[in-house]
Amino acid sequence: MKEFSIIGKDVPRTDAIVKARGAAAYTDDMKLPGMLHGRILRSPLPHALIKNIDTSKAASLPGVKCVVTAEDTPKIKYGNWRLFPETQDEYPLAIDKVRFIGDEVAAVAAIDKDIAEEALELIDVEYEELPAVFDVDIAMKSEAPVLHDYCPTNISVNRKIKYGDVEKGFAESDYVREDTFTVHGVSHAYLEPCSALAQVDLDGRITIWTSTQVPYIVQCLLASTLGMRENDIRVIKPFVGGGFGGKMELRTWEFCAALMAKRTGRPVKFTLSREEEFLAGRRRHPMKLHSKIGFKKDGTIVAKDLKIQLDGGAYNAMGPTATFLCGNFGAMLYRYPNYRFHGQHIYTNKPPASAMRGFGAPQSLYATEIQMNIAAEDLGIDPIDIRLKNAQVSGDKIPDVATISSCGFVESIQRVAEMSGWKEKRNSLKLGQGIGIGCYSFISGGVFNWFNTQYPFSAAEVRVFSDGTAHLLTMAADIGQGSDTVLKQILAEELGLTMEDIRMTSADTAMTPQGDLGSWGSRVTLMAGNAVVNAAKKIKEELFGAVSAHHNLNVIHEIECKNGRVQAKTRPDYGLSFGEAVALVQKANRGEPLVARGSYTPRGKGLVTPAFGFGAQVAEVEVDKETGLVKVKEMWTAHDCGTVINPRSVEGQLAGSIQMGLGYALSEQFVMDGGKTLNANFADYKMPTAMDMPLSHVTHVDTYENEGPMGAKECGEGLASPTAPAISDAVYHATGYRCKDLPITPEKILEHVEKTEDVGLESRKTLHCDLEPEPYKIG
Amino acid sequence: MRLPKFEYFTPKTLNEALALLKEQGEGAYIMAGGTDIVVKMLHGRLRPKSVIALQEIDGINKISFSPQEGLTIGATARIVNILSHPDILQYYPALTDAVKVMANIEVRNMGTVVGNLCNAAPSADTAPPLITMGSVVVLTSLEGERRLSLDEFFKGPGITAMNQGEIMTSVFVPLPQPRSGGSYKRISARCGVDIAPASAGTMAVFRDEICSDVKLVLGAVAPIPLRAYRTENLLRGKQWTHELIQDAGYEAAEESMPISDCRASAEWRKKMVAVLTRRTLVEAYERSKKN
Ligand SMILES: Cc1cc2nc3c(=O)[nH]c(=O)nc-3n(C[C@H](O)[C@H](O)[C@H](O)COP(=O)(O)OP(=O)(O)OC[C@H]3O[C@@H](n4cnc5c(N)ncnc54)[C@H](O)[C@@H]3O)c2cc1C
Repeated sequence: MKEFSIIGKDVPRTDAIVKARGAAAYTDDMKLPGMLHGRILRSPLPHALIKNIDTSKAASLPGVKCVVTAEDTPKIKYGNWRLFPETQDEYPLAIDKVRFIGDEVAAVAAIDKDIAEEALELIDVEYEELPAVFDVDIAMKSEAPVLHDYCPTNISVNRKIKYGDVEKGFAESDYVREDTFTVHGVSHAYLEPCSALAQVDLDGRITIWTSTQVPYIVQCLLASTLGMRENDIRVIKPFVGGGFGGKMELRTWEFCAALMAKRTGRPVKFTLSREEEFLAGRRRHPMKLHSKIGFKKDGTIVAKDLKIQLDGGAYNAMGPTATFLCGNFGAMLYRYPNYRFHGQHIYTNKPPASAMRGFGAPQSLYATEIQMNIAAEDLGIDPIDIRLKNAQVSGDKIPDVATISSCGFVESIQRVAEMSGWKEKRNSLKLGQGIGIGCYSFISGGVFNWFNTQYPFSAAEVRVFSDGTAHLLTMAADIGQGSDTVLKQILAEELGLTMEDIRMTSADTAMTPQGDLGSWGSRVTLMAGNAVVNAAKKIKEELFGAVSAHHNLNVIHEIECKNGRVQAKTRPDYGLSFGEAVALVQKANRGEPLVARGSYTPRGKGLVTPAFGFGAQVAEVEVDKETGLVKVKEMWTAHDCGTVINPRSVEGQLAGSIQMGLGYALSEQFVMDGGKTLNANFADYKMPTAMDMPLSHVTHVDTYENEGPMGAKECGEGLASPTAPAISDAVYHATGYRCKDLPITPEKILEHVEKTEDVGLESRKTLHCDLEPEPYKIG
Repeated sequence: MRLPKFEYFTPKTLNEALALLKEQGEGAYIMAGGTDIVVKMLHGRLRPKSVIALQEIDGINKISFSPQEGLTIGATARIVNILSHPDILQYYPALTDAVKVMANIEVRNMGTVVGNLCNAAPSADTAPPLITMGSVVVLTSLEGERRLSLDEFFKGPGITAMNQGEIMTSVFVPLPQPRSGGSYKRISARCGVDIAPASAGTMAVFRDEICSDVKLVLGAVAPIPLRAYRTENLLRGKQWTHELIQDAGYEAAEESMPISDCRASAEWRKKMVAVLTRRTLVEAYERSKKN
């Protein structure tokens, strides 16, 4: 471990106090003079032609200031894959056709929300209903309804990967098995529903405050869909209450707020309701995964053939990336000498799925991990041992992806087995109690540039002042994950300053340096962190020169920034305060402020990611065999995120991941009927609460990633994957029910228990009551 | 969403409230804690003409208990106060079981037991235990007071035997019989806030090892909290055995009439009825030993 003064220390989050006090202002908290409130009219049908829209009654309702439909827009398609325009399949407002219940058809802006809501009811839309398709297997058939004319097969993306010789690999295997897994869609359920507020400047330019993970992407796509220039749009990200991938595209309300602000000259705000979020919001991709895998008798993997169908819903959204990444995740974590992948992204008449924490990994790794356990059992090898045998290690090369640099996977598996008492529990737990394992590997940011930016992937500007302070500017978007804190820590460490010495401006596209691709793909700490280090290094060079000259130091001296001073490392008395050093540099430059820009774009790191996070997790559960209800009692995690910059932030990511994983495994799902969501509220969409959280223990495996800032990698998304397979494996251990069809519901468990015990309601045989309650005591 | 326009009244006396209720007529709604009615209004499922709030009326928020007479819960007594009431825990533990699992802290701080009954959800948690305890509700109107067994109060989802112009001023719970025990349990897929897909409340009286009397009420598996008469008949007068409890579970499952909805399938609900029936019977029996 390297020695740091602020990195790795228990530094409080910069936003903790304002958030705890309720003082942090989110977009919906903002009010501007004359502001109008917008609402969106959504399609009540899953698939229909729009024959006519009559907005006249709505427009004449007193208080309504603006009503727009697609006819009022420049009709320009958008989508994050600018590099491949054929994937851009969405308009801000539906043109001629709606493709899912909730598709955006029109928007109203009025002097208050109630009037806007009322006006929606006055818009007459004439639809001609079309046959709809909700299932990927049916959507791929030749006679299936076609959603997009450009795509008659409904398969919008085909992605193939191949290396080695899979068929030969299977032929050489001692044991080959095939399994099909299905995984379901879940909601990001961020606590802050989407919200955007747009205002037009005197010169017609637009400023928009929006709850987004990607200010730069919103800036560019808003400009192109409005037919404006990028610099005409200023995106400001206020506090954001979570995103998890659900806020990483330009969205209709952002477009409508800007368009309607332009048309009315008044600020316009849209805030979605929770019902809208559940009914029409983005979600994690439901998938069907078919995996064939071959092993040697000793448990060594020889070959894997993975086919995945992603249920994309009505539009591509971030589906192409998920399709692309699924193939990579399928080949990560373990060594696969022969590998083949075919991913298909398929349109159905459902709300579009998109990026969600893990971006394909939770689905892909669910299949990987469960299949690994099945194979381990068949081969008579402990699940821990079969993983150790195949675990990727530092220096492994994933063809066409990367050579793995730092890798603490083996140690993660070993540590988690020790921490959880795996060996003992796996052999001694009673029926109804179980312990299971799940592992992950994840990318630390992406190398792919489908957004086709000409800017660096991350950038930072550092300004330093003679009062001993610094100002850090970056477009990186803190959406609650804590990047503002972490980036400040990195700068403070580099410049030898305290957190209090640093002012920060982030995520304002007109003020902070271009560019930043946003908060997703576990990329911010590594990429924006590197940009900060890069800028700080340039500042330090200037300061070091000034101090050397000032003290007439021998050239052999190494200079450092430490404790608010700039000084010779071995002779700290030869130095100046940070502020004095800054003043000297300024004096030498006719008073010019000392400012430096830094940036980071991964180079020479393959095509997928510059670095990989790893980890292993064990879950212990108790299953009530009469009700099928699962209680997750305790979880153990050992993971490798490189250098831990802020321990509590990392633990926070872990806690949040476990909470999401619990929901994914056990309780969350969209209950849908013909494209309609039946449980569009938190009472019936069963997101786990704080009271459902198990005890959790964590070990950070000590590694240092040379490509990362101060050795750091990622922990935001990788940790989203292991929880569901760990719980699933534990449920299997407890009950014998192997779930290949998420979520694990009490009904599925009971069905299994009844089948295996031959007990049915009708048969009236005595139930085995070896669990709660104890055999009924009489007397 | 738009909160529909309505008149809001905060009468200071019961008579004032009753007069208002009559004067406003059709479309006037009583509000206790508001945790059901306001939610419905916000979702546009209820558009009252006027809302008459009870919270400023003196004297109807009391919980009174005496070991001679029993328990009376006033119309505006909050769920949280039931939860923390030592006599209720001692004499009516099944009611404590019910309020303990209801909603969350915020809702328990606002919501009332009487509101829970008047709302008449098939899943209302306080209904099964209160019915099994033989509770009687007091319905007051300008014409006077009438008493009705809670058992006869529920008529359908959201529908009760209350007439227009009546306010439920209290619910009376008689003293438990000697050697009786009560229990209430529900299924929850999630801790904290959850609406139960199935629940059961039991009150059983024992003579030696014979179940001399029993009441069983099933929640969320019928349009109203359902008295399981057939199961009660099966149990009444029988020797208390493991097989009897098993059979009671099956009988209750058959007697229940659940639907499939987004919370659970009818089939699973029936299975849960069997499990909950057995578990409440076991607990009721255990508790009866203390009385
Ligand atoms: C988040 C959340 C979770 C919940 N969880 C549960 C749960 O787990 N279990 C459960 O059973 N319920 C639950 N509820 C529902 C609700 O909280 C309870 O039913 C509560 O007891 C209602 O009481 P209240 O005083 O708030 O009723 P109110 O909303 O004030 O009234 C409910 C209805 O009864 C009528 N009414 C009230 N008082 C009287 C009276 N004295 N005379 C005549 N009519 C009257 C009203 O007109 C209205 O129709 C939950 C609600 C929320 C919002």
